[in-house]
Amino acid sequence: MEVENFFGSSYGGSKRFTQQDVPTANATGFGAAADDYMERGIDLNEQLIRNKPATFFMKVSGNSMINAGIFDADIVIVDRSIKPVNGKIVIAIIDGEMLIRRYEKTFNRLRLVPETAKLSAIEVNEFSDFKIWGVVICVIRNV
Amino acid sequence: MKAIIDCNSFYCSCERLFLPHLDNKPVVVLSNNDGCIVSRTDEAKKLGVEMAGPYFKAKPLIMKHGVSVFSSNYNLYGDLSWRVMETLRIMLGKDNVEVYSVDEAFLDLDEFAQKDLQQVAMNIRETVELWTGIKVSVGVAPTKVLSKVANHLAKKNKIATQCVVVLDTKEKIAKALQDTPVGEVWGVGRQYAQKLIEMNAVYTAFDLTKKTEEWAHKNLGGVVGVRLVKELKGETASVMKEELKVKKMIATTRMFGTPVKTITEIKEAVATYIARAAEKLRRQQSAAGIINVFVVPKEEPTNNTYFRHGPSVSSYVILPVATSATNELIKPAVLLVDQLFEPGRIYKKAGVMLSGIVPEESIQGNLFIPQAKHTERKLMDMLDNINFSQRDDILKFARSGTKRNWKMRQELRSPRYTTRWDEMYKVK
Repeated sequence: MEVENFFGSSYGGSKRFTQQDVPTANATGFGAAADDYMERGIDLNEQLIRNKPATFFMKVSGNSMINAGIFDADIVIVDRSIKPVNGKIVIAIIDGEMLIRRYEKTFNRLRLVPETAKLSAIEVNEFSDFKIWGVVICVIRNV
Repeated sequence: MKAIIDCNSFYCSCERLFLPHLDNKPVVVLSNNDGCIVSRTDEAKKLGVEMAGPYFKAKPLIMKHGVSVFSSNYNLYGDLSWRVMETLRIMLGKDNVEVYSVDEAFLDLDEFAQKDLQQVAMNIRETVELWTGIKVSVGVAPTKVLSKVANHLAKKNKIATQCVVVLDTKEKIAKALQDTPVGEVWGVGRQYAQKLIEMNAVYTAFDLTKKTEEWAHKNLGGVVGVRLVKELKGETASVMKEELKVKKMIATTRMFGTPVKTITEIKEAVATYIARAAEKLRRQQSAAGIINVFVVPKEEPTNNTYFRHGPSVSSYVILPVATSATNELIKPAVLLVDQLFEPGRIYKKAGVMLSGIVPEESIQGNLFIPQAKHTERKLMDMLDNINFSQRDDILKFARSGTKRNWKMRQELRSPRYTTRWDEMYKVK
């Protein structure tokens, strides 16, 4: 988060409220009905993070997954505790390098497939130094 | 049964998590100020890089073999430590995990059947590594001290043991104790070990179990020694205890990045340390009544010493009313520096210690001092909130300086991948 956003004149604060938020609205005697339905607001952590100690954030650099809707500078949420299955997008380690690719596992073949025509798939065989780092579960992007 | 889980070369493992090409390569991590080596991988150990040795001494060896070197990245290590401990708490239940240090935890495995322990320990090791990426070793035995022995054996022989050793029978325990030199027993220091070997013909942990409690009381430092021998014999002498949360003393001390000559710079440093200590104080909701400040001047260099500190010089002040407000602590602390500082000397280190700690709500008033106002505490809350959300001490007291030339050296620190938006790992 940029510090300027917080303290600069552009920061709108969180004080924009509606009539429902004002306790004196209850003066009419009818406002209290909504109180019965008060609950916690939506929490992104709750929805996006399933296993906190195993969840990591990474920033995507480049266009290797562009056809899957993952663009340069997007943030991906990676869960290390999920088992990679065919078709999942994963963070893989191949020969010491970490890559974001689609995991393609068929009966006798394992490939790391990019989602762009500009790169070719990586064939994983018994000679490759290969490991799965984690499974991508979510993408975050500013629009 | 008890277990201890211990991360393998923890700081180095943290660095490797985001740099997998360093797997199986020698790695070391340096202490504050890049002074000493505080963590090394097995590969670095094999090359002869010494633990806790000064960095400059090991540098030729490190350069020759292309060892990867990192400054301490405590933000990263702290986060991964939390992840490891949280994984254990999720697996075993909160009450069965006792965090012992940043990279060690004792586990209570009483609810598992003896025949399953090997499998359970293996499962713990694999899950921690899968979830957090940190490799750990597990030692399981009837007591804490014995579990430490088991852990040692697991670490010494990683491939054969797969980092798990369970000592669940008398025979296994006896064998393990015979294989453990007395100096490697938890709590027996190197000097102590020397004494035991020379004066008492105690060579292994097994020899210690042959001794009586009276002997231990006399020769092994009193009650602590008695407990140690008891635990080695398989009797529980220390119970799982809760983490010590409220500290009775809070200290902040650092080496200066470069030696400091002026009183202004020392005052800046002391004010900065006070701010840090006061923040910790407020986090545990207490107030301090005594401030201790010390400085360490550099010893005149002689021909064959490099790393000498002079004796530390310290002074303290008792406050009229205990407080946790940074501004109220800075003022008397800085006055102490005036007493301590000797012009013309070069200083290597300074530190502060807050003691006389009482819970915030029970601060004793002083008849002659007007009651501390509530606004002070509100201001501090505000300060802490802003510093916590914006990081890097964005709000600080002017006394702590703006240039901070004396600040710690951390030239080789990796990004804080897991705690900063702008330092996240970039994946292609």
